[in-house]
Amino acid sequence: MKLPLLSRMALALALVATAGSLRAADESGVIHISDQAKKTIPIAVSGFSGESAQVLKFDLEVAGFDFVPVASAQYELKGSSAANLQGTLSDTGNHHTLFARAYPGGTPRAQAHMLADDVVKAITGQNGIARTRIAFKVDTGRTKEIYVSDYDGGNPFRATEDNSIAASPAWVPGKLRLFYTSYRSGSPSVYTHDLQSGSRTRVFGFNGLNSSAAVSPDGTRVAVILSKSGSPDLWVANIDGSGLRQLTKTLEPESSPCWSPDGRTICFASTRDGRASLYTVPAAGGEMKKLSTGGITPATEPDWSPDGKWIIFTRGAGEFTLYIVPSGGGVAEPLVAGEDPSWAANSRTVVFTRGRDGARRLSLLDVPTRRVKDVNRISGSSSQPSWAR
Amino acid sequence: MNRLTKLGLIALIAVTAVGTGCTKKPKNITPIPGGMSNNGAPTGDLGGRGGPIRDPNAGKFGGLGGPTSTDLANGGGLGNGKSDPSALPSGDPRAGKDEDRETFKSNTVYFAYDKSAIVAAEAGKINPVIEFLKSHPDNNLLIEGHCDERGTEEYNRALGERRALALREKVVGAGISGERVTTISYGEDRPADPGHDDSAWSKNRRGEFILLTPSKGGSLK
Repeated sequence: MKLPLLSRMALALALVATAGSLRAADESGVIHISDQAKKTIPIAVSGFSGESAQVLKFDLEVAGFDFVPVASAQYELKGSSAANLQGTLSDTGNHHTLFARAYPGGTPRAQAHMLADDVVKAITGQNGIARTRIAFKVDTGRTKEIYVSDYDGGNPFRATEDNSIAASPAWVPGKLRLFYTSYRSGSPSVYTHDLQSGSRTRVFGFNGLNSSAAVSPDGTRVAVILSKSGSPDLWVANIDGSGLRQLTKTLEPESSPCWSPDGRTICFASTRDGRASLYTVPAAGGEMKKLSTGGITPATEPDWSPDGKWIIFTRGAGEFTLYIVPSGGGVAEPLVAGEDPSWAANSRTVVFTRGRDGARRLSLLDVPTRRVKDVNRISGSSSQPSWAR
Repeated sequence: MNRLTKLGLIALIAVTAVGTGCTKKPKNITPIPGGMSNNGAPTGDLGGRGGPIRDPNAGKFGGLGGPTSTDLANGGGLGNGKSDPSALPSGDPRAGKDEDRETFKSNTVYFAYDKSAIVAAEAGKINPVIEFLKSHPDNNLLIEGHCDERGTEEYNRALGERRALALREKVVGAGISGERVTTISYGEDRPADPGHDDSAWSKNRRGEFILLTPSKGGSLK
């Protein structure tokens, strides 16, 4: 074989990569996201108008429903948007009524979100996500602030007014409280911010880098990237910053930690081996181990699905693509163009960023159907969404 | 099969070579002094300047028209009085100093894509900075690390810090006290050139030296 060295290396790498993915695929019990691919659910919706009709359509499409004429529908939702929203859901096959409900009180948006969640629950058995919230970074040019809104971009408000750089928001599970990075003091520090009282505290303010906070599922601990040791490493601490412990000691940078749902493992990105890849480490300390993504690199921004099965991450440089891999590693499969993924509590929907710098926006991905719908744009360029769960 | 194994071996060697090639830098990592005490007690807690929810008519938070999401309150309780919005970490070399962004403007060091190693052609720009600091013992140094937009955001924030720390390592290695040199990473948030092409990216992958001179006012900015 008289190939130039570079070609030989490339060929060999390709072969190894192929062999790797074949091996992974051959192992019994390996699950592919495509095995779970679901068709959209055809539903006929009538009687709604105005804002409630729009909200309902958005919510149900994000949840994997298709709006079709009643003749081809599996379910029918009839209702009215008069003084109070009302909805009756029936199965078109057996004409069985699944529910008939009225939604007094609240805004038309809130009523429509509730009805959408009821439809999702009645048909799929899963809790809906229409009444959840997201936090994200908005870049208005000179300053970058943290905003919070409904999951569809409704009811936005600005959580920070630091006139510097605020970034990397992360929710405390089950609470109206965020962790995020702000440069307001002149250096990137990590703050925790109670959204109801507006009070906040600096949790990590060491010299150098303090960023990428991620709160454990039980809300008692926080993973964070600090450079106080002389290199950006992964650390873990109690939720108030006490009991700080260094989990990685590499020269090269670590970034974007996330937690397994049982709180025992942290997944993150590291360039320890030259190219950004995903790694896991026990939250109580131990060896960092590479998570196989079948050669899909550079891999950054992992997020662990709340049901524990999947890790979604960003692949690429310049052009970004969301990939999904079983949480134990294996074959990573491409989903859609985008970056910064964050799972909803349903382990099915993901909020992510798409578009170029300066004009980025948030979108929602229904992973099983691959459907993408844009979140209402706030202003400027939005990125780094975090889904409250 | 034999051939495959051989190719695999070549690949492994190649990967290993690439890997070590990228990480083979002096392994002396210098911790950064200052910041918070070990028990994590935050320095400079903030009061309520972070912007409470501005809509007093509930609605937005605590009750989207329904029975759920009412159990999210966590009380206040944080922000225990010490309000010091511009607090720098303790021991920060910027304390009591003014920032001079002009003196070392032409000493900005540029980096290769996705790398924090200082290339030979750029290394010479660091020496004048070191010499200046040696002859001006009352001056300190802030090193800013920046990236182009092609990495993801938090990856770039870490990479920018790694670049700034690589420069700091050179300065400290030349005998300047670590107490005088601090770093800040802006990741991709402060591009020098707002463009989206190779030319812009090459200007944005950089480390900037900001001279810290004794403050004229003698107090923190």
